[in-house]
Amino acid sequence: MKEFDLEGLSREMPYRMPEHFLDDMTERVVSQIAGQQRKQHKERRIVALFASAASVAAVALLFLHPFGGGFDIPDYESISQCASIDEVFQNMTADELDVYSLMSNYYGN
Amino acid sequence: MKRDESSIVNSQGSLSVSDESIARLLCDDNHVEEAVRLIMKKYGEPLYWHIRRMVVAHDDAEDALQETMINVYKYRSTYSNEYPLSSWLYKIATNESLKLLKNRSGFMMSVDDLGDSLKESVREEAAPDADETLILLQEAIALLPAKQKMVFNLRYYDDKSYEEIHQIVGDSVNTLKTNYHYAVQKIKDYILEHQL
Repeated sequence: MKEFDLEGLSREMPYRMPEHFLDDMTERVVSQIAGQQRKQHKERRIVALFASAASVAAVALLFLHPFGGGFDIPDYESISQCASIDEVFQNMTADELDVYSLMSNYYGN
Repeated sequence: MKRDESSIVNSQGSLSVSDESIARLLCDDNHVEEAVRLIMKKYGEPLYWHIRRMVVAHDDAEDALQETMINVYKYRSTYSNEYPLSSWLYKIATNESLKLLKNRSGFMMSVDDLGDSLKESVREEAAPDADETLILLQEAIALLPAKQKMVFNLRYYDDKSYEEIHQIVGDSVNTLKTNYHYAVQKIKDYILEHQL
């Protein structure tokens, strides 16, 4: 049977690569990468800016509102003026009781 | 770094920067651009032809090569020096070629169904003075299933060892040898059948 000599064939391609193609491609890729790097730096700066703003805001909140504002803090004055203080205590949640005892210690009640 | 650049081109005019040096530059944000330039200088042409043999049309090869290089930049942190840089680059280029073919084949068809259309492109893309046997060889390659095509091209044109092809394609060496054997047989049959 007839056998074709593949190994003896030239490795040349029947196509052509346009002149300066690789140089043009290199410049295009490098400029695209530079654009992406600029974008990444910008994003990193924005994230850093937000992070610092958030930290400043958190610290400011801590100073202005020592209990973070997350709880429904009972008004100390109104509680102390209640006729039936036991009733008020019965309706308080565990968190509210904690806060109340903290405040009581703080105000020396 | 400027001093190193002067030693890039040796007396024969070829690039002598080691893959290790390129890989180190690639991992350094301040030298990525240099690394990309060196990769394009050293591997741009072989990668282009590897892609072109898969996708046939120059415009497609251009898109896939560009995507390959962008992915080299994007995923540079995933490169492990356990493998040669060239294998990693060929792997990305192979994936980009397959991705491009998959996009062309659409949802309902597989990449292997593109054989006839790729074969048509071979003659359209061939240079006017191209050797007829070389055109027939490319037509035969275009008709191969993607896996056989990859293995054949990497071994026949890029002189890759089966171990290197394993790093690029991922199959076992025995499977790769079988793929190569079938590819060679199909190519020989095609050329014998179509040669005048």
